[in-house]
This record gives sequence, structure tokens and C-alpha cells, in this order.
Amino acid sequence: MLRSLWNHNIQHGLKLIPHNTVIIKSCQNLLLEHIKLLATKSITPESTEKSVQKKIPKQPFSPFQNTSSNFEYALARLDDLISWGRSTSMWPITFGLACCAVEMMHMAAPRYDMDRYGVVFRAAPKQTDVLIVAGTVTNKMAPPLRRTYDQMLDPKFVISMGSCANGGGYYHYSYSVLRGCDRIIPVDIYVPGCPPTAEALLYGVLQLQKKVRRMKLALIWYRQ
Amino acid sequence: MERILGHTISDFIKAIKQNGGIINSIKVLHRMDAIKLGKLVGQDEFGNKYYENNNNFVCRNRWVVYNEQLSLNYDASQVPPEWHGWLHYKTDLLPHQDPSRKKYKWMIKHTPNYSGTELSYVPYSTVKPKIEPWNPKK
Amino acid sequence: MIRYLMIRGKTITSYRHGTSINVSSSSKQHGVEPKTNLIELFIDEKAIQVPPGTTILKAASLAGIEIPRFCYHERLAVAGNCRMCLVEIEKQVKPVAACAMPVMKGWRVKTNSNLTQKAREGVMEFLLVNHPLDCPICDQGGECDLQDQSMAFGNDRSRFVDIDYSGKRAVEDKDIGPLIKTAMTRCIHCTRCIRFASEIAGIDDFGTTGRGNEMQVGMYVKKLFMSEVSGNIIDLCPVGALTSKPYAFVARPWENYRTDSIDVHDAVGSNIVISHRTGEVLRILPRVNEEINEEWISDKARFSYDGLKRQRIITPMIKLNGELQNVDWKSALVSVANILQDLSTNKCAAIAGKQADAESLVMMKDLLNKFDSELLTTEQPFPQKGAGVDLRSNYLLNNKISSIDEADVVLLIGTNPRYEAPIVNIRIRKGYLHHEQKIGFIGPPVNLTYEYKYLGQSVELISQLKLGTNSFRAILNNAKKPMVILGSEQLSRPDGAKILAEVQSLCKAINNSTKVPKYWKIMNILHTNASQVTALDLGYSSSLDDLKKNKPKILFLLGADDPCIKKEDFSKTFIVYMGSHGDYGASIADVILPGAAYTEKCGSFVNMEGRSQQTNAAITPPGMARPDWKIIRALSEIAGISLPYDNLNEVRNRIAEIAPHLLKYGDIEPTNYFSQLFEISETIHGTFSDNPIDIKQKTLDQYFMTDAISRASVIMAKCVQAVVKQH
Repeated sequence: MLRSLWNHNIQHGLKLIPHNTVIIKSCQNLLLEHIKLLATKSITPESTEKSVQKKIPKQPFSPFQNTSSNFEYALARLDDLISWGRSTSMWPITFGLACCAVEMMHMAAPRYDMDRYGVVFRAAPKQTDVLIVAGTVTNKMAPPLRRTYDQMLDPKFVISMGSCANGGGYYHYSYSVLRGCDRIIPVDIYVPGCPPTAEALLYGVLQLQKKVRRMKLALIWYRQ
Repeated sequence: MERILGHTISDFIKAIKQNGGIINSIKVLHRMDAIKLGKLVGQDEFGNKYYENNNNFVCRNRWVVYNEQLSLNYDASQVPPEWHGWLHYKTDLLPHQDPSRKKYKWMIKHTPNYSGTELSYVPYSTVKPKIEPWNPKK
Repeated sequence: MIRYLMIRGKTITSYRHGTSINVSSSSKQHGVEPKTNLIELFIDEKAIQVPPGTTILKAASLAGIEIPRFCYHERLAVAGNCRMCLVEIEKQVKPVAACAMPVMKGWRVKTNSNLTQKAREGVMEFLLVNHPLDCPICDQGGECDLQDQSMAFGNDRSRFVDIDYSGKRAVEDKDIGPLIKTAMTRCIHCTRCIRFASEIAGIDDFGTTGRGNEMQVGMYVKKLFMSEVSGNIIDLCPVGALTSKPYAFVARPWENYRTDSIDVHDAVGSNIVISHRTGEVLRILPRVNEEINEEWISDKARFSYDGLKRQRIITPMIKLNGELQNVDWKSALVSVANILQDLSTNKCAAIAGKQADAESLVMMKDLLNKFDSELLTTEQPFPQKGAGVDLRSNYLLNNKISSIDEADVVLLIGTNPRYEAPIVNIRIRKGYLHHEQKIGFIGPPVNLTYEYKYLGQSVELISQLKLGTNSFRAILNNAKKPMVILGSEQLSRPDGAKILAEVQSLCKAINNSTKVPKYWKIMNILHTNASQVTALDLGYSSSLDDLKKNKPKILFLLGADDPCIKKEDFSKTFIVYMGSHGDYGASIADVILPGAAYTEKCGSFVNMEGRSQQTNAAITPPGMARPDWKIIRALSEIAGISLPYDNLNEVRNRIAEIAPHLLKYGDIEPTNYFSQLFEISETIHGTFSDNPIDIKQKTLDQYFMTDAISRASVIMAKCVQAVVKQH
């Protein structure tokens, strides 16, 4: 019963596709009217601009705004400075384990060009801030992964790239695979995909930048 | 050579003019890392503006300038799906020209990525709880 | 019945196999043979000296050589029917079964020769001809003797090609109750289950029918295996013929995590292994401890684990408008702390439940003492007249569980060890079978799985025995090692103090009229609650009547669920329940603080013989529940009198200050001061009440659900149903 309903819907949907193309090809007048009906927004930048800009309030650079005293204000700005420095020079260590590593290389290549965000691959854990776990973490690779993480200096961040690193992915039920690298190291950013595109990974790096910008070390130190 | 240079220099001056003078251009440079010259082709409901300049090579000829109110807090997920398709060369038709983009009542409004904010998605368990709690009313 | 006599007729020299690797010391202990009488033989060219009568298999294990076996089991009679233990003996034509053959002088046994190997391969092949190839769907997979031994000793290829013509033998599965799943096609006829049922469990229901290929193990008729220790045949079965029904298809043994722990369903303190995975207890297995449970555990210990997942209290609750509402920790603790302000002397009280651990008990005592109160008692009252809790020998099973089978006369007063402490009953039955033990019984007539002399039900019988007017006294007088075991249930009677004193003077009288070895203790008490001895050791010396009299403002129930605690008696009292399960105690409470069950906390428990042992946390407590001592610690801080213990070690240091023996895990502090004890008991005067001695657990259906965990368990409920249906 349910299955027949489902099949019916699929067929219906399939029918619509040629139907639409016929409309486009055959009658131009109808198409124009159709377009008018369906138009999301017409090109009137001046008219819409004002109405839209009222909705969104001006967003400041720093996430730390509500400071209670002058000293806290100074600390908040110090935090801004620290996080600016950190977020704009995040050096990842290469931890390419599987096919995701190819996409990670693409991120470094000119088309996506991670260098413009100050992201530069380093080979030594002691020189790096970010660990990009790119690929399937096998049980055999798990101890070196943890050791690499331990060798990195604070502050350190982890980007888990791809389904396998996020939760085992395709190999979740394999006897030899770690079901997600977050079982052994704390992960800051999960990038979904199998493998994620270089763009997605870059987006993950930008998300990490945002996260770093939200860290209020000095403020927390003071409040403690 | 002259022509190219002249072309580039004139484009550069035009670009600075388009971005509202030298000081404004420096602000834009700080925000966007580029000063670009192009034709405004549309604007979405969030106030992001979309530009096109086919003199540039493909991949660089369409771009978005996010709502200025956002300053540096812009994010790729703030582009709504209809414009995403155009930006990524899935279609050459602008959203309002594209007949296959129907606008139904049940379509929900586009939201940006809320990760890291209070609105962020939190996964929840869908499996039966392992522990059956005591219910004093029974 | 014939088998009974046959087994009794058999003399099995040593049942302590495995404990005494050093042969000379074991023979000295038993005083059987002097050292010179040993027989020398060679096993795999290794010279070894063993006492005469030792089987080849035992001698080999003393020499550190393992001989494969299926039917042989150290704690069961020798059957010799699987033939897996065949070994070659030099200058003998045929291989012999090592498990049944006593050694002879100068033998050269070869456990790894070609003949031996060929014999094993042959036996293995015959066993596998009719064994189904369903290892992938068999629950025994991974812990199967047949799997392991066919890997180690079997042939590496099969000659079995006849599957289309005659096929493999198939046997109908038997339904023997809600605990044990049978797959009788897998059975290899080792008869371990039959021997366990008739020797250890004392239920002669198992047997074989048919011969040769038609042989079947079963119950003759469709019937329930009505034993309180039935689960042990699952462990005994070397193949997957008998597996656990609740655990069926749940997990593979190599995937599980194992945590050593202690059982708290009775006061025996059986050693167990908690098998768990993904934060869930999947099954409970026995752990070998020769001093306590050998390798058996009771069904309640083994199968009530599903009660840990049901009826759990997972959030703090407060009674608002007559109904319990879920709240957060802070508001629950603050509401309790509010009551604790400005209390005068003896205005707060505590009752320890069946499964309270030493840590929470000592914290509770300290908390109450800070409020100037000594109103601490246990769920099952212990008479405080006379020696009370001052002398340990007053409330312990002084003679140790392991020496029960050595006794030649046992007098059971008002206790049914079969259900109150099945492990103790196994010991008594062992003594009955192998040491010609005589058993006397006072109480309502019950089936104890062995024959006993029924003396009656009246309390006056104790006095009669003391004065020597009862004929059983003569048997006690002639005994070399008599034991009197008094059920703790009788002590909660109104005349409990008198019964205790009378039994003690009976023991004194027996002691005077017999020659008992110095280390032997006649006076024993059999407890039913795991926390009882712990609480008495820590000085929970008040009584329920005292509590009622004092009208406390606040009453803490440490998992106390006994219906004897009535809301009417504490009408103006604020009742705080601290425990893991929603049961009777929780239903009368004003505030509920969710505690951890025994699988979820590291706690110390003292068993009925005074042996301290600890449980280990296998999983985390569910929801907002926390280990009980941490709750009391947090409460004390909010109430303004921080108890100075921040971690488990500090709490245990505090325990060591009060009772150092509680931290000597696994050891027993020998009890003494018996003469003083008997003197004090003479000072107690009183009269017996007219009520005859009664026991709560008389039949099997009364055994399964006795505490909060087992009452919450679905498996236990099914057992009760099955037993009731059988009757």
C-alpha cells in the first residue's frame, strides 16, 4: 500500500521534468508570464536595499561587547588581538589518511588557495595549531594520531574531515577502524562529506576561525 | 601591451569609482581582499548583492558582496540556494529568470549556518532509551 | 534416589583440586597420607609425585600439563564418557581415559604422542559428525570448549561428506524454563548438566533417555528445571546446548568488557564478573573464589541484571502537592538541607537498606553524628540487648562458609539456606554427600535438597536442645564439628533477643559437652541482606522502635524498601529516599535522591562471614544518579557541615578509622571473645512468644523477587510465573 503510493509519487515527479522543458521550448509568451509569476525579486536594488538593511543590525568585529568595566574592556580588546593573530595564521599539520587527503591537497592548490587565509601546511606537529584528520582512522593509525595530537603545542584545534574521521563512515562496522576520531582526540570542527570538497574543507577552516575568534582567554582568566 | 595596460588601468580606476572612492575602496579591500569591477545583477532577501563581469575568466566572473551590515561576519552559507546555483554555474539564468524555481507556500526560508550560535543544530538520539525510569504515578 | 546413594557411597578423596598445587602441603592439610607414600610417575618425561588414587588428569594438571576434556569437571563426579582425555601409557596397548584412571607407580604417560593425538582426532571426529555447524548463530561461540578443542586437537579437514544421504542427527529442543535456552542438537552428551543437577543442585530431574545415536539428555517429561542455582549449567555446558535465554543473541563474549565485582542479592558476597558493553550490563557470570562461592552463583545473582534497567530513579524528585515531581539536584539537596537546620539531639535518623555499601553507610553515620543523632538502624532489625554490635562474633557466620562442608552435624534454626543463601546450601549439601553430614532443622517444613531430621517448628525446641531433653542433642554431643546456624530473620521477631541468647547458650552447652577443635566455631548466624554485617560493623546500633519513639524530623532511607517502615509511624517526619530503584521506600518519600546500583559504584560490602569485598563500577549511573556517598557529601556541604572527604580514598580512610577490617579486601578477621559473648547472653532474660518459627522464603517462587533490583526484573517475574504454573 505504502509502496504503491511512493511509486506513484516518483512517477509523477518524473513526468513533470519533460513537461517543464516543453513549456520552455514551445510557447514564449506563456513562459514570460510564468517568469513574472515566479520571480523572487525584480532588479530594483534601491527599493529593496533599504528595507533589507533595516532588518539586519550592524555586526561588530568583536564578539565580546558587553564588558562591565574599563579593565574588562581592555581585556576584551586584548582577546580580540590574540584571536585575530591566532585565527589568521592557522597552520595545519598534514594528516592525510585516505581519499580525503586528495581533497585536502586541492585546498592547498591555487584554485582554493588556502594560503590567503594564512593557512599553511607544516610537517612538524610542534609548529602547528590545527590537526586536519583527513580520512579513515584505522585502529593501527589511532595511536600515532593521538601521539601527534599530544605533540602539538597549545592552543591546538582539530578538524575532522569526511565521514570516516567523523564517525567511521563507510567503514564503521569494520573490525579494524576507529569509529570516529573524536573517540581519541577532541574535535572542534566536523566537515561532512565523503570526501568533502576542498571548498567544504575551506569552509570548515573558516568556521574554525570563527570559533577561535570567540575564545575569550583573557576575560576568563580575569574572571577566575 | 599598451592596450592591455591601459585597459587594466582604466578598469582599476572604474573599480575604485564603483566602490565609492579611495577610502571606501580601502575598506572594501579590508573586508573582501579584492576590489572588483562588475555589473550588479541582483540582490537577495538578505541584502547580499550579486555581481558579474564576464571580462574575467570563469570562476572569477560572478561574485557576491555580502550585506555591509555584517562587516566581517559573512559566511558562504548566507547565500540562499537560488543564488548559490547561479554563483556556482549550475545555471546561467538569474533566479527571477529561471522558470524551474517555483516558489511554493510550504518552502521554508533559507537560514545560514548556525554552528557556534544558540540556534545551532544539536543531534539527538533516536534509539529507545536503555534505562526505563520509575514513574511514581503508576 | 539410587543415584543419591551411589554418590554418597563414592568417596572422592579431594574436592579441592586446583587450590593446592603443592602436593605435599595438601596431603598434610588433610592428614591423608604421609609424604613417603607418594607414587612417582612420568608425564611427558616429567617426573611427578602424587598421592595414590590421583587420576592421570589431576596428576598432569599438577605437572602443568593440560589434557583436553569435555565431561570431566573438578567439582563433579567423574563420568568418563566423552573420551576426549585419552592418553597413551607406555607398554599399554590401548589409550586410557585420563580423567578416570588412577595412577600407578612408574607409569610413563604420553599426552602428546602420535597415538594420543590420533585418539583425540578420532574422538573429535565422532563428536563433530553429529554436531551442527551453527557456530555463527550459536551463543556459545567464542567461549565454546568444542570450538577451542577442535581447533587445538581436531583434524584440519573433514571426512564428513554424507550430508545428503543420512544427514546429521537432530534432536528436539526441550523447554526447561525461562532462564535456560536449549538447543539439544548441539549436545555432545557429556552429562555435566545431569551430574550438576543431581549432585550440586540436588534435583534429580535431568537424565538421559535412549542409547547410542538415539541418546538424549532431558527431563524425561516436559518440566521446569526448578532450581535456585540452575544458571550454573549454562557455564558447565561445554557446547552451546544450554545457553542463557535472556542473553540469547545479545553479544559475543569477545566484544564485552568484564568487570570483577561482588553480588549483593544475598549476604554471601558471591564473586561475579559483570559483562557489559555500551554502558549496559549484558550478563553476570560467576568468578572463582574457593573460599566463598567456588564457581557457582545463584540464579538471582545471575539473572536479575535486567532489573538494573527498569524502575530506575534517574532524577531527584520532590513531593509537591502530594505528587513526586522531577527536579534538579540543587533544589532537591537544598530542600533536604533546609530540614537539617537547627535540629536538636536525635532528631534525624537513617535506615540502611539491603544493598547499602560501606562508603555511604559511613558517610551517613558521620552526617547524623554531626547532628548529634545516633538513630541509625538497618532494615532488618538486630537485637541490641546483650552484646549487640559490640562483639563481632554476635552477628557473624563465625565458622566461614568454606568450612561448612567440613561440619559433621549442622543444626539449622529458622533459616532456609536454600533460598536465603543458595551458596551456603550448596556447601551443606556437599557436606551431606561427601562428609556424612547430619542436618537438623527447626522451622516450617521446607525442601532443602537433602535429607534432614525435622525437629519441629516451636521456639521451645531451642531450650529443649539446650537442656538435653531433645533426642537431637545426643547427635550434637557426639559430633566432632557441630555447627548451629541461626537465621537472621528470627532475630527480627519481638523475642529475637531471647532467641539469640538461647541459641548462644545452646552453643555453650554443646561446646561444654563435645570436644571441638579450637578453631571451630559453633555459633553462626546466617544473614540475608548484603549490607547487614557492614552496617553492624559500622555501628548501626539503634532499632526501628527507637526511631519511632524519637519521632525524628528527618529520616534517611539508604535504599530501604522494607514494608516494615510505615509512613504512619513517621507521619510528621520528612522522609528522604536515597537509592537506585523506585520501590516501596521511594513511594513513601518526600524527597528522592537518585543513587547508584551495585554495578555502578565502587563500594565495600562485608558478607555474612565478615569478609570484606568490593564491587567495581562497570557502568555509569543512569541520568542524574550519582554514587550514594557523593550525594551525602554534597548534602553535607549545603547543610553547612562539610564532611571532609572528597574522594573514595578519603572515605575509605575514614572507614579504616572506624573498622580497619573493612578495607582488608578478601580477608577474614577471625572472631573471638566467645566466652564473654556467652556470659553476656546469660544475662538476657525474657520469654519466647507463642508464635512458631516461620520463614519468609519457603518455596522457589518466593525466592526470585526479594529486593528492589529483582522486583524490577522482568526475568525474575517470568521465573515466578513459571514456578507458580508448574505447581
